[in-house]
Amino acid sequence: MTDETIEIEIDGKSLSAQPGQMLIEVADANDIRIPRFCYHKKLTVAANCRMCLVEVEKSPKPLPACATPVAPGMVVQTHSAKALDAQKSVMEFLLINHPLDCPICDQGGQCELQDVAMGYGKDVSRYTERKRVVADKDIGPLIATEMTRCIHCTRCVRFGEEVAGLRELGATGRGEFTEIGTYISHSIKSELSGNVIDLCPVGALTAKPSRFTSRPWELEQMPTIAPHDCVGSNMYLHTRRQEVMRAAPRENEALNETWLSDRDRFSYEGIHSKERLLTPRIKRNGKWVDVDWQTALNVAKIGLEKIIASHTAEKVGALISPSATTEEMYLLQKLLRSLDCHNVDHRLRQADFSGQGLAPNFYGTPIRFKELSTLDSILLVGSHLQYEQPIVNLKVRKASLAGGKVMALNPIDYDFNYPLHAKVIAKPFDMLNNLIAIAKVLAQGSSQGLPGTVAAANVEVNDNIRAIAAQLKASNSSALILGAIAFNHPQFNAMYELAELISDMSGSQLVCLPEGANSAGAWLAGAIPHREAVSLDIKKPGLDAKRMMEAKLKAYITFGIEPELDCANPSIVKRALDEADFNVVVTAFSSDSIDAFADVQLPLATFAETSGSYVNAEGGWQTFKGTVKPKGEARPGWKILRVLGNLFDVEGFAYTTSIEVQHELRKQLETLQIKNRQERRFNMDTPHIEGLQRISTWPIYRGDSLVRHAESLQQTTTNDPAAVAMNSKLAAELYLKDGGEAVVKQQYSEVRLPVRIDERVPDGCAYIPGGYSETAALGECFGKIDIERS
Amino acid sequence: MSEVQQALLSDDAKAKIDVWLAKYPADRRQSAIIPALHIAQEEHHGWLPENVIEAVADYVGIPHIAAFEVATFYSMYDLKPVGKHKIGVCTSISCMLRGSDELADHIKQRLDIDWDGTSSDGKFTLQEVECLGACRHAPAVLFDKAYLENVTPEDIDKIIAGEE
Amino acid sequence: MKTLKFYLKSFLLWELLVGLKLTGKYFFKKKITVQFPEESTPTSPRFRGMHALRRYPNGEERCIACKLCEAVCPALAITIESEPRSDGSRRTTRYDIDMFKCIYCGFCEESCPVDSIVETDNYNYHFENRGENIMTKPLLLAVGDKYEDSIAKKRQIDAEFR
Repeated sequence: MTDETIEIEIDGKSLSAQPGQMLIEVADANDIRIPRFCYHKKLTVAANCRMCLVEVEKSPKPLPACATPVAPGMVVQTHSAKALDAQKSVMEFLLINHPLDCPICDQGGQCELQDVAMGYGKDVSRYTERKRVVADKDIGPLIATEMTRCIHCTRCVRFGEEVAGLRELGATGRGEFTEIGTYISHSIKSELSGNVIDLCPVGALTAKPSRFTSRPWELEQMPTIAPHDCVGSNMYLHTRRQEVMRAAPRENEALNETWLSDRDRFSYEGIHSKERLLTPRIKRNGKWVDVDWQTALNVAKIGLEKIIASHTAEKVGALISPSATTEEMYLLQKLLRSLDCHNVDHRLRQADFSGQGLAPNFYGTPIRFKELSTLDSILLVGSHLQYEQPIVNLKVRKASLAGGKVMALNPIDYDFNYPLHAKVIAKPFDMLNNLIAIAKVLAQGSSQGLPGTVAAANVEVNDNIRAIAAQLKASNSSALILGAIAFNHPQFNAMYELAELISDMSGSQLVCLPEGANSAGAWLAGAIPHREAVSLDIKKPGLDAKRMMEAKLKAYITFGIEPELDCANPSIVKRALDEADFNVVVTAFSSDSIDAFADVQLPLATFAETSGSYVNAEGGWQTFKGTVKPKGEARPGWKILRVLGNLFDVEGFAYTTSIEVQHELRKQLETLQIKNRQERRFNMDTPHIEGLQRISTWPIYRGDSLVRHAESLQQTTTNDPAAVAMNSKLAAELYLKDGGEAVVKQQYSEVRLPVRIDERVPDGCAYIPGGYSETAALGECFGKIDIERS
Repeated sequence: MSEVQQALLSDDAKAKIDVWLAKYPADRRQSAIIPALHIAQEEHHGWLPENVIEAVADYVGIPHIAAFEVATFYSMYDLKPVGKHKIGVCTSISCMLRGSDELADHIKQRLDIDWDGTSSDGKFTLQEVECLGACRHAPAVLFDKAYLENVTPEDIDKIIAGEE
Repeated sequence: MKTLKFYLKSFLLWELLVGLKLTGKYFFKKKITVQFPEESTPTSPRFRGMHALRRYPNGEERCIACKLCEAVCPALAITIESEPRSDGSRRTTRYDIDMFKCIYCGFCEESCPVDSIVETDNYNYHFENRGENIMTKPLLLAVGDKYEDSIAKKRQIDAEFR
C-alpha cells in the first residue's frame, strides 16, 4: 500500500482514502452507513444489487458506492434527495418479488433486507401482478433453502468461487427466471459451505439444523473457541435458556477471518446428543448403576489405589483427547505424576514415538497462519489439508491464487481446491523414500553434505521430485506442511527429520499441523510421557499411547475420548482395555463399547460447557468461558480432576477456577527452555511390506467424539463412508465391484466392508478410514492388510 | 472427468472446440464455452442434455455449474429435445406490426403445435425469438441457420413442404 | 318562621320522604343487577379475558411460531419452543402462557400476524392447583375450539377498526 492518500468528502466530512479503494470501503471505515446487499468486504465486487447508489458531484446519475473508486476531490452525498430517491427505487424493485413471510423466516430479526426496508422501503407496494415463485433446492443437510426469498445478490455464488474454491452454486436462467441453485440437484460438498448462511442477506439460505427453533432476539451471543482444529477459530455460540442453539464466526483477521468451517459451526449439535452421559455411573455386579458424584469419584479413587497398591503406579495409564483444554491436560498429568506415574499421552493416533526426546517444545508453526497466504511455494507432506484444517487450507488457497505454487506428497491423490504444481502419490511406505529423493535433488550442487543414511539410501528420482525440489529452492518464501498422515505414519520421526532437513536446505519453514485443537497445549502442559509441564525432560519416561496399550496395564484412565474410535490401533486398544482390571472413563458420551470395558464413567462437560484454554499451532493461547451450564450432572473436566486430586490428597489441588490452573502453568512457562534441534537420527530403514498396504485417516466429521455425535454433519456426503476404497485396477484383481462387499483382514481380526472404487488410491493400497465402529476391529492405520471377496 | 462422459463428445467436436480454445489465453479457457456448447448442440440433434453440458464443461475445464449458467441464459441453447428443424419466429415490435402473429398462428395450425412444441413427425420445432435485427424486412424468421425476411405464410408452407 | 319550618320538617319526616323518593324511583326503574353466574354483563368486542389459540376452518392451527407475542409480552408470560413439523412447516412444540404473570394488556393479540393468539371474553376461570396457572398449547387450542364462534363474531364486529 502506498503512502499516497486522496482527500474526498462524504456527507460533508472530509476523509482521506487510499487510491484504488471503493467509496463504500472509505464510508465503512468512517462509520458512514450505506445500505448494501451484494457487497461484502471479503468478496469481489459484483455491483448487481444497486442498493448502494450514492450521489457523486458532477456525475449525472447516482453511482454504486461499492464499485466506484475514489478520486481526488470527490464530493459524495449518501443521503441527499437524489441518493435517497435512487435507493428507495431500488428497494421497491427488490421487494417486488420478495415474499412477505418474515414471521416464518429464520432470518427475520437479523435480516439485512428487513433492516434496509425499514429505512428505505415504502409501506405499500405498487406492484399488483403475481409474485415470482421459485422451487426450493435440496442442497444437503446443513443448509435450508427458501429460494423465493432470494434477491440474487450472488454472494453465495462468489463465495463458492472465490473462497471455498468449489463452485457448486450458480445463477441459472435469465432475467425474471434467474435462479440460484446447483442446477442438477446435489448436496453441497464444501467443508466451508455453512458460511453462505451468514453471507445470505435474506432468508434464502438458512441453517438447517437450527431451522425454526429460535429467533435472533432471544439468543445470547457468547464468545468461544472452536474445538476441532489446531487453528482455534474464534466463534460465537448463540444460546437460549442455557441451551446452545447455533454457532457463528467471530471475526479474527489473523485466524479465521470472517469464516468458520462446517465442522466448527455444526458440531454444537453433539452437545444435545441423546448419547450424552448425564450422570456418573459405576459398574456394580456387572450392571450399570447411576450414582452421585461423591460415590463415583470414591469408587474411582479406591479402584486406582488398589491397583497402585497391588502392582505399582506404573501399571496405570491415562489417555487424554488432544482437544481437551490445557487446564485438563495439566491437571491430569499433575495428578498422575504426583502418584509417580508418567504414563500419560494425548497422541492417540501416533504410531512412531522414536524421536520424541528430540522433539521441539510442541509441534506447531514458526510463521503465522496468515503469512501462509503470502508464500511462493508450499509442499504438503502427508496431509489432506482441506479436510484436516479447513481454515489453514483457505490460506494456502489464497497463496495459490496469488501465484504461489502448491505441491503435495500424499498417499492418496486428494482433490484440492487449487491446482497442484507437482504431486507425488506414493504408497505409505514409499513416502519416506520420496522425501529422501527430494533431499538428494536439493543436495546436488549444494555444499551441505547429506547425513550418511540419507546419502546411502537408494531411491528413485522422477520429474515430479525434481519439480518439487526446484520449486522449493527457487522460491523466496516457502513452507513444508506436515499433516495428519505424516503424524500418524509409522515412520513419523524419520519423515519429520527429513522435512526439517529439506526445509533447512531449501530455506523453507516447517509447519506442523497435528490433529486436535490443543496438541500444542498438551505438549506444554506435559500430557506426554517423557516430559513434564514446561518441557522438562523426565529421566525415566513413561509409556506413550501406543506402548501403554501394548503393555497391557492394569488400569486405564481415558479422558474425553472413545478409545476404539479415536486410537490408532483399535484392536490392541480394545484388548488392553478389556483385560485391564480397572478403567476410569471420563467422557461426554456413553456408548456400548465404553460400557463394555469401563468400571466408572464420569460425565464430562463439552467445550461449550467448560472454561479453559486452547493453544493453537502458532502457540497462541486462547482462553474461553463456559457458555451454558453442563447438561445433567456433567461437570467440567478440570473440576473432576481437581476433586480427584483432592481425594488422593495431592498437594496443590486447591483451585477454585480454571484461570488459577492456567496461571500456575503460565507462570512456569516463563522459565520454558526452547528446545532446539539437537541431533537427528535419520533412521531411514523402511520395513518391506508384502502385499497390500492400508491407508487410514479420520474423515473430516469422524475426528473426535463431539463431531461424531453431530447428526447433521454425519448426514453430509463430505465424510468418507465406512468402506474400503481402492482403485479399479486393484478391484479387478480382487474380483471386487463398486458397492460389493469385501472381507478385510488385518493382524488378528477381520471385518466385512462395502467396496468403493476410488481412482485416487494408488496401486497396491486400500483406504479404510478410522473413526467408525465398522472399522474399529482393525489394527493400525498403516500396514499390511489382506482383502478378499466375501 | 470420466471416460463415459467424454465419449459424449466426438473427436470431431473436440477438434472444433480446440480451435476455439486456441483463440483465448490458456487461463481463459472459459471464454470458449459459448462456441463449445454450440458445437455440442449441433452434434446432439439440436439440443443439450445435462450430461453433454457436463462433458463440455469438463472438456473446457470449468465447473459444471458455470456451463449450466451459460446454457440456461441464452435462448439459442435448447435444453429439451427439439425437432429436426427449428423455426424461430421473431415476435418483437416491428415483426409483430408486420404480421408475425398471423405467421406464427399459421405455423401453429399447420403443424398442430404451440410455441416450443415439436410437430408429431419430429421434424419441426416452433420457437419464439427476440429481435433478429431485420426490422426493415419484417417479419423475419430464423429457419435453422437460414435468415428469412419478408416471410409470408405461403413462404413457410413452401419451406415446410420442401422438408417434409 | 324558620323555627316553624324546622319543626314541621322534623315531625312530618320530610327528610325520610326525600330519601324514600329516591328509593321509590329506583324501585320502579329497570333493574341492572345481574344474577351472576346465571347471568353475565355484556362485554366489549375488545374485551381481554382468557387466552386462546385459534385454528383455521380446515382445522389447521394458525400459530406459525413467529414468537412476536413472546417478544412483545411486557410481563414475559409467554414461552415458545418451535421446530419444523414433519410436513416442513414452522410450528410450535410448546406454547405456554403463565396466567399469573399475564397482565392482560392484549399486546400478544395485537402482534399476532395470523390472528392466532387471542383473548376471549371469558373471565370466569380459576385455578385450584399450583402449576395450573401455566396454560399449555393443547389447553389454549381447546379454548380456541370451544369459543371459536364467539371469537370470530367479535373479530367481525371490530374488524373495521383494526
